[in-house]
Amino acid sequence: MTSGGEVRGRLFGKNVLEATFRAAPDEDLFLGELLVGVDDATGRRYLFRVVDVTYGTEHREPGWAERVAGTMLADDGRDDAGAHPLYEQSRRTYRVATCSCLGYLTPPGPDGVRTEFRKPKSLPTQFSRVLAPEPEDFAFLASRMGDLPVGMLRSGESVVDFRVSIPGAALSSHVGIFATTGMGKSNLMRVLAAGVMRANGRYGLLIIDPHGEYRTALARHPWSGERLRTYAARSLPNTTALRISLAELGIDDLRTAYEWSRPQEEALFELERHYGVEGLGWLAAFARLDDLPGFREVELNGRIALSTLQVVHRRARRIVELKCVAMDPNVSVGGAVLNDLLGGKVVLIDVSGLGSTEEVLVASYLTRRVLEEWQSAYLDRPEQHERMPVVAVVLEEAQRVLGASKDRESNVFPRVAREGRKFNVGICAITQQPKLLDDELLSQFNTFFILGLADEKDRNILRASAKQDISAVGKEIQTLMPGECLIAGLAAPFAMPAKVDLYADLIRATPPPPAPRPTVAPNISALVD
Amino acid sequence: MSLPSPAPTIEQAAARLASLLTYAGGALSDPERHDLVFEAEISVRPLVRLPAPADVWAVDGGQAVVADARCLQLVVTRASRARWRGGRFVLEDEGELRPQLVGCGEERTAVMTYAMPVRPDAAVDIGLLRDWGEWQAVSQSVEEADAGAMVLIDGDLEPDWRLPPSYLDGLFARADAGGVTLAGVTKHSSLARGGAPLLGQLERRAEESLGPRAMWWARLATTRPDSGPNRQILAARLDPDARFSFRVDVPAGADPESVLGSLSSLADDAAFPGYPYPLSVADRLAACPGWVRDDVWAQLEDGLDIAGVPFDVRERAFTDRHRLMERA
Repeated sequence: MTSGGEVRGRLFGKNVLEATFRAAPDEDLFLGELLVGVDDATGRRYLFRVVDVTYGTEHREPGWAERVAGTMLADDGRDDAGAHPLYEQSRRTYRVATCSCLGYLTPPGPDGVRTEFRKPKSLPTQFSRVLAPEPEDFAFLASRMGDLPVGMLRSGESVVDFRVSIPGAALSSHVGIFATTGMGKSNLMRVLAAGVMRANGRYGLLIIDPHGEYRTALARHPWSGERLRTYAARSLPNTTALRISLAELGIDDLRTAYEWSRPQEEALFELERHYGVEGLGWLAAFARLDDLPGFREVELNGRIALSTLQVVHRRARRIVELKCVAMDPNVSVGGAVLNDLLGGKVVLIDVSGLGSTEEVLVASYLTRRVLEEWQSAYLDRPEQHERMPVVAVVLEEAQRVLGASKDRESNVFPRVAREGRKFNVGICAITQQPKLLDDELLSQFNTFFILGLADEKDRNILRASAKQDISAVGKEIQTLMPGECLIAGLAAPFAMPAKVDLYADLIRATPPPPAPRPTVAPNISALVD
Repeated sequence: MSLPSPAPTIEQAAARLASLLTYAGGALSDPERHDLVFEAEISVRPLVRLPAPADVWAVDGGQAVVADARCLQLVVTRASRARWRGGRFVLEDEGELRPQLVGCGEERTAVMTYAMPVRPDAAVDIGLLRDWGEWQAVSQSVEEADAGAMVLIDGDLEPDWRLPPSYLDGLFARADAGGVTLAGVTKHSSLARGGAPLLGQLERRAEESLGPRAMWWARLATTRPDSGPNRQILAARLDPDARFSFRVDVPAGADPESVLGSLSSLADDAAFPGYPYPLSVADRLAACPGWVRDDVWAQLEDGLDIAGVPFDVRERAFTDRHRLMERA
């Protein structure tokens, strides 16, 4: 590797973790830009990330810069711009870039290659040159990239010719996708789903799609024929009807989906005892009741207040009337969904048209089934479990089920967040408001995709929970453009800036899946043997 | 025996100051010099900006006391030069630091070392050392300047009182012969009228008569024939947005409007409109900030180490007792 290249500045401060360098006044420096400090004395190359850029001037008197600006502004006001030039501006003014030091590349080995990247623990020589990085500066990252492509490495607003990806195994240790509207959450999710489709069955993805935004896009993927299965709560082309049996639903699913008061919860258990039916199968009979006061008096001996019973009854009728809810246990798609996931597919559950609570009811049921299946395999069939794909449940607006107030024994999602990793079941939580997620649950997430977040509280909560120090990149997060993100995870030694692939481009560049290997007729096979 | 008058109160001092500052009349004077012949009537005239000279030199001096044993000091001086051609500096010379022991007769060596044209018994101090360095730098600049050049000096065209006025005769003659214009710009003038700052009065008058954004100039005085080469003492506001006007000294033979008009085109820097930019650079070069003093002090200590001067001897000599007592 050469130590040449375009000099962007000279290092003059500041400490081991934070570098400051001076640059020319016209040096175009961007937040998030990756630069290299070349320490000729030690042969090390320090990798810096620009976290702030400010003005500097040779003039030390207070108010100098403001005075100059004032003079020029007055010229502008008189329509006489340029009447007072600032002579030798390039010598009298400059820029100061503050960088976080990400680490350093050790001097090259005998083969001339730098492969070891270490955390910063020493100061580079003062006044070292700061250069634009070369492709070789990122070569060490190659071994840390995974098999789920995300996009390209980003340096400020530029894209570096280096593919960024995450290991698919990271799905089990939970993934968070955080961004405000329009910053590219859906595109990122599609890109991840595309990666799962091409992973030859190593991973499964259960996407609960409340807005119907993934169905058409994912179906366009060249591998969707074999690797995508879509279930829909309403009649949609090329989808399988989503049917969930009441008998398979449990009270815990109801408690996850709806807000229940204490008496209402007790009423649920009382009704379950009264009917003595497995699961929520009794909801159908209960929903059909016309004489609720009579049922209360006669069947329940008045143990439940009528008003409480009315609330449960109203909700029961709504659930029973749902098109996706079946009375017949044999038509449930629960088993099919599990089989698809076991086959390493992307399973899309299009719940558009359902209400928010019913959507959570479906998600809770399916997630519980997945967790139980993977858990039982882990405990009872370890060899089979080893062959099972890593799966993740994708939840939009995850704060609805992972918020601090939602963390109850009955809620399956916090359970997955806490225990799922052991069983290779993860959560992929998508939210615009990470501040509404429970702190402790968020700390279970090992991979963060941080896209643009305007709210400081959102950034703060992520800063506290991220597995890498992202305290210095607050301004960068604030200024991320759509499609730009930071990936904080365990694989890379620092939060990786990336430009997420555009899904439309990605599928254009995706080759069709290989043709299935032809099956040899038994008689031919015998001949070969 | 008359009783001493009581000491003035702050209120009385303020009242007296107010009367001096607001009385726009009285005699013209320069409390620091007595060789000026003031104009009977000062008229403020509009100034027109002219093209800048192709070759401009700026000279300024700097000084610092490095070690102070009161009876004995180590001082450093330097004279800096900057050359401005075609809109950029082609020379920026900080000038060599000249260390000199001053006090107890040690300063006498400077007279010989630097060939100072002063009387053998003249007192030599840091002011003289600096001034002489500056005039040497001016002289060198005149020698190196192109015909038609302008050499700017920070301050008036008046050498230290210990330097003979005749010294300037030769310098002015050489400049004149080479087609070089000398101009001294004084940032803060002591010229007064009726005890109040003269330039401030002129600025107010010009604003009233010519408008707030007018560039203007005025002839204030000429020097007496017996005080060296004749000079004109002018005042000028060199930019429409200048906050202050300055005293400008030029040789008697120079055309004030032409010199000031050219000078004004060097005084349009956005950082300080009205002050010639080359002079502000020379000022920066000549400055002897704290780090320069520290650097020289470190070198001095090395020398004292080699000479085996005990630490306590140095401390007794150079410790700033004022600062110590104030800290206590």
